[in-house]
Amino acid sequence: MHLTKAEDRILAGDEGVGRRKALELLVALGEIYGADRLIPIQSAHISGASFQTIGEAGLRYISDLAADAKVAVPSTLNPLGMDRERWREMGISEAFAARQEAIVRAYEQLGVDLACSCIPYHSGNRPQPGEHVAWAESSAVVYANSVLRARTNREGGPAALAAAIIGKTPEYGLHLDQERLPSVEVALPADLSPADLAPLGYWLGEVLRDRIPYLRNLRLSDDDHKTLGASLASTGALSLYYWDASPPPRTDLILERLSLDRADLEDATARLGLDKDPELVAFGCPQLSESEVVGLARALEHRRPRGDLPVWFFTTRVVAQRCPAAIEQLRRFGKVLCDTCLEVAPIHELFSSTATDSAKACVYLPTVGRQRVCYCPTRALLDLIG
Amino acid sequence: MILKGRRISGGTAEGPILRVDHPVSFLGGVDPKTGQLQDRAHGDTGESVAGRIFAFPQGKGSTVGSYAMYGLRLSGVAPAGIVNAHAEPIIATGAIIAEIPMIDGIDIGLLETDDQGILRASAGELELPGVGHREVVTSILSCEGRYLILKRSGEVGTYQHHWAGVSGYVNPGESPQEASLREVAEETGSSKAQLLASARPIRRRHGSTVWEIHPFLYQVPERTVQTDWEHEEVRWILREELSGFQTVPWLDEVFDALIAAVPRPR
Repeated sequence: MHLTKAEDRILAGDEGVGRRKALELLVALGEIYGADRLIPIQSAHISGASFQTIGEAGLRYISDLAADAKVAVPSTLNPLGMDRERWREMGISEAFAARQEAIVRAYEQLGVDLACSCIPYHSGNRPQPGEHVAWAESSAVVYANSVLRARTNREGGPAALAAAIIGKTPEYGLHLDQERLPSVEVALPADLSPADLAPLGYWLGEVLRDRIPYLRNLRLSDDDHKTLGASLASTGALSLYYWDASPPPRTDLILERLSLDRADLEDATARLGLDKDPELVAFGCPQLSESEVVGLARALEHRRPRGDLPVWFFTTRVVAQRCPAAIEQLRRFGKVLCDTCLEVAPIHELFSSTATDSAKACVYLPTVGRQRVCYCPTRALLDLIG
Repeated sequence: MILKGRRISGGTAEGPILRVDHPVSFLGGVDPKTGQLQDRAHGDTGESVAGRIFAFPQGKGSTVGSYAMYGLRLSGVAPAGIVNAHAEPIIATGAIIAEIPMIDGIDIGLLETDDQGILRASAGELELPGVGHREVVTSILSCEGRYLILKRSGEVGTYQHHWAGVSGYVNPGESPQEASLREVAEETGSSKAQLLASARPIRRRHGSTVWEIHPFLYQVPERTVQTDWEHEEVRWILREELSGFQTVPWLDEVFDALIAAVPRPR
């Protein structure tokens, strides 16, 4: 890679150990992926914030880095292992909470914004089209590339943090025009409904792996794209798709055409998880947007809580503050939790089976959350609670 | 010998090699307190990575694995160095944040557990002081779709009575192709061999030696062969007949590499 004089000085350690190590990491990753240089980024989004996932070693790393480094660009953080205010209601131990708060303090010392969200684009970090950013969190990465038309690779947590500290990222992959072209076109059924999006994304991720698709017959709301992106990024390694209203700049590299029919969707639905005895009903993976909170509140307006199962809604603190009346409506039915999410909280301490409308949760909960899962489309999930 | 790779994380390290042949996740695959390998599904038997030059094909699993490598460092049980066939981001990231010297681009099949290793990661190289390196040539002669194999005599030092190509050491100051032509002339009497193809050298570990085999394929006008004392019998065979002979190691790979390297008429 070609480095500038200023970058050479950082590598020589002139600006401290933290910046040296951050740049070493970016250069090594750039070499692995064949980047020629580093390019400036406008923001970073960092994963690896829950004590449940990064553990004592991660805490030590981030604390050590925070001793002499600061982020150089606006940077947001992924969800924590608990709601910072309501953690006792989640069955979190004092010991866990203390370690989690230590991680939060280290990120705070680094200068990272503490919105603690997997939907940073709804929590104050919304890139403009064409902007280069360095984001971790696969569901946010696919949204940033596809819906916002910003440019980011799917970073790991330490790489996103290193990019935040240097304010640059290696130029390869989705930062380059020629790497953002679709190679496959997928014809979808014309009658897709929002309830189909979780199995649709699950199927697409499995079939496409890392190929960029041009999806035809897709007409979705902003929230629908959030759902679709999260599910396809959980089974696939792709981080960008195009659709009818957001077509690719060129289609001449499309050499393959696939089509999806109802039977494929039903097959994917069956594989999401059909446990019969959920102990927890969870909404919000990814965390609920403001319009999703308002929509759920409206759907629950004339229902009465069944009260036989615990119900947890996950959203961000920023969203919760924007729509207090809707949040109160949800609280009639269960807990509204901020700063955290289903996949990085130690829910296995309390539950062994979870009902969810998220394909992403269905993919990750059996391993990271040690849960059996029961997939229900949102409407069926509402029927479980009221 | 010295193996050349690519620098991933700088520094130097010295220690015994520990080699495993499966992809490694440091999250779950290595005990964070002791550094012991614990991927039972892949047959790990509890050897510790601590202080070793840890050689494995590549990483796998969660990005949190990078932090697990930092944790091993803090507990004093990290590998002294890491050697991979292909670095992927999780291991590369972990090596850098934990300041473990690391290179990739190494054929880890050339390393054996408990070889002494000196890893000069900044220079991208791994030295194995106890391992020798011998360069040899193996030449296959072809005539009318058949290939020449020769049965080694009872007089030769290695692989007596095994079937081989025309083989021999590369002498100091000689190029592999010169050695190959010399051996063909000495062992078959042929001076009319015309080069059809050569393939990238094949490196294989045997005992404390890495054999580097340079394959060459020649065409000869006729099947007349004048052997010397090194061989007791010759055959002209079809490619598919090779499996019926007891051969020196890797002859099959030499054939595959050469046949793949023959330029095809368009």
